[in-house]
Amino acid sequence: MIATDLFIAARNLARHTRRNLLLAAAISGVTALLVLLTGLTSGMREAMLHSATTLMTGHVNLAGFFKITSGTAAPIVADWEKPWEAVKDKVPELVYAAPRGRGWAKAVADGGSMDLVLAGIDLSREPGFDKVIQVVEGSLAELGKPGTILLFQDQARRLGVKPGDTLTLSAPTTRGASNTADVRVAAVARNIGLLSAFNAFIPAETLRQLYQLKVGTTGAVQLYLADPADSAKVAARLRAALREAGWRVMDPDPEPYWQKLMFKVNAEDWTGQKLDVTTWEDEMSFLSWIVTAVTWLGNVLVGVLLVIVAVGIVNTLAIAIRERTREIGTLRAIGMQRTQVLRLTLLEAFLLGLGGAAMGAAAGAAIAAGLNATGIELPETMQYFLLQRDLHLALHAGRVALAVAFVTGLTTVAAIWPSVWAARMRPVTAMHHVG
Amino acid sequence: MPEPIVEAVDVAKVYQLGKTEVQALRHVDLVVERGEFLSIAGPSGSGKTTLLNLIGGVDVPTAGTVRVDGEDTSRLTERALTRLRLDHIGFIFQTFNLVAVLTVFQNVEFPLLLQGRMTSAERRRRVETLLESVGLAGHARHRPSELSGGQRQRVAVARALVGNPPLVLADEPTANLDSKTGGTIIDLMREMNRRDGTTFIFSTHDPKVMSHASAIVRLEDGRVIGRESAQGAEAR
Repeated sequence: MIATDLFIAARNLARHTRRNLLLAAAISGVTALLVLLTGLTSGMREAMLHSATTLMTGHVNLAGFFKITSGTAAPIVADWEKPWEAVKDKVPELVYAAPRGRGWAKAVADGGSMDLVLAGIDLSREPGFDKVIQVVEGSLAELGKPGTILLFQDQARRLGVKPGDTLTLSAPTTRGASNTADVRVAAVARNIGLLSAFNAFIPAETLRQLYQLKVGTTGAVQLYLADPADSAKVAARLRAALREAGWRVMDPDPEPYWQKLMFKVNAEDWTGQKLDVTTWEDEMSFLSWIVTAVTWLGNVLVGVLLVIVAVGIVNTLAIAIRERTREIGTLRAIGMQRTQVLRLTLLEAFLLGLGGAAMGAAAGAAIAAGLNATGIELPETMQYFLLQRDLHLALHAGRVALAVAFVTGLTTVAAIWPSVWAARMRPVTAMHHVG
Repeated sequence: MPEPIVEAVDVAKVYQLGKTEVQALRHVDLVVERGEFLSIAGPSGSGKTTLLNLIGGVDVPTAGTVRVDGEDTSRLTERALTRLRLDHIGFIFQTFNLVAVLTVFQNVEFPLLLQGRMTSAERRRRVETLLESVGLAGHARHRPSELSGGQRQRVAVARALVGNPPLVLADEPTANLDSKTGGTIIDLMREMNRRDGTTFIFSTHDPKVMSHASAIVRLEDGRVIGRESAQGAEAR
């Protein structure tokens, strides 16, 4: 029976080709837009993960704060190898771990000055670093030498420096005094969205010297996992293991370390070392509003279009049903139940929705692939907000299928009212309908 | 003594047309025995179609009772009434009322699909047999729009009979056909009636068509004014 229903539904759709093609095109357009917007937000999320886990955070961070007095906290882990040694066996998902110094400094050069978030890096421990950083001037290997710095294009432009030039970093030490260090520009890297606007890299040793920290002190041990999706699970496991090993561990708090440093830790009444295990999502939470905003804007746009399409579907089906009143009356007379009429008309909407959505998804995927292949460089302001330099739409089969299912489902739901209307027709009235 | 296939007792049907009440049928009593080939005759507006609708369970009476194959139609739920139509009654319409998007074969097969009792192979055999008996074996793959009026009505006859219903109702089955084709359709229905014992009730105002009936019930202004058997009139 379902095969016959499908056949009738398909043939009925084919009977009014122009009308149904127009409606299918509208459904198709909305689906394509939905696929593109999903690709855009996924692309942003992936770009954020990609760039953030190089520039600012590991997938999981074993970090912490050290307070000499209750009002002066520094984002450091003293003797980091001790807590790390105590728990590293608990992370079978680990690909590699690397200590990163954390700090900020004012960079002053002949051409200008700016505030920079500094990462103290040991290149030999970070095999993933050169896969993300694209050097456009200078040499990344130079960053292995003390007293150097890696800047991004915009920073170099703003400071008016190029590889080989020297600039001065000025930072407050943990004891409250200011210290400076002259560093030579080792390399200038290609921008990576918003995050590369304020992050710069210096050798870990140089950062320690700037902050007058002992060897063995770092900002965080950044853990890179085989699957970033395991981050929260691994973080929870590490917290438990560190506590068990006798370390003071802060409760989970989905905020970046610098927000905790500025607004929370200094106000707390404790001294000494506390460890803080965070995930990349915690560290990037201050940027998640961008993805949320784009997602919501997209949803509103798609929502409005879907309402228009739904009205079109209701209207078209109502017309189609009115035209087939006699036929429906006949089918009811010869023994078709109301539920079967309902199923038949819903099936038409479902087929229309599925066809339109599938075409739209294919078109959306093709457009996305074309845009990705073209490698469109985004305008600078958009780079900041989309967290990527080149437009990249991340397409996942599952999400595309979900978009198709969502639009098809909505189309079918929109058809409920005209379908119920068709099913409730009295056969005697329907058979004698003239129209 | 077998139960009559149709029994209408003091049936009335009133339609509300705006503020006006239309008495389509009043005090109709009718008994149709199994195997009859009964014609309901009368001028336009006499209530023929209304009576067929009530017998066919596509409508229910305002007053009185209609029993079809032992079932009181006004006591049945919508679902049960639909099932009664599917299993016990075949319909032939004046304007054929075939499903335009289905082929001849699919149109005839449709009631069997609704019944859901036969396998695909059984359905195929049954449909092919019927198409052969109505002379349309070579047209199974055609669509209704590719057939003549007479051929379409043959398809309708086959569709009405495919589920082996004990009762077939035909509302002016020859009205849209020329007299020769109409005669062929009536002959076909008569043949099915004789061969399978299926009861046929058909409405007409064509005396030629009436002449084929085993009995004629005459309606006028919503009342039965007489019943004639093939042998002669039985005034009521």
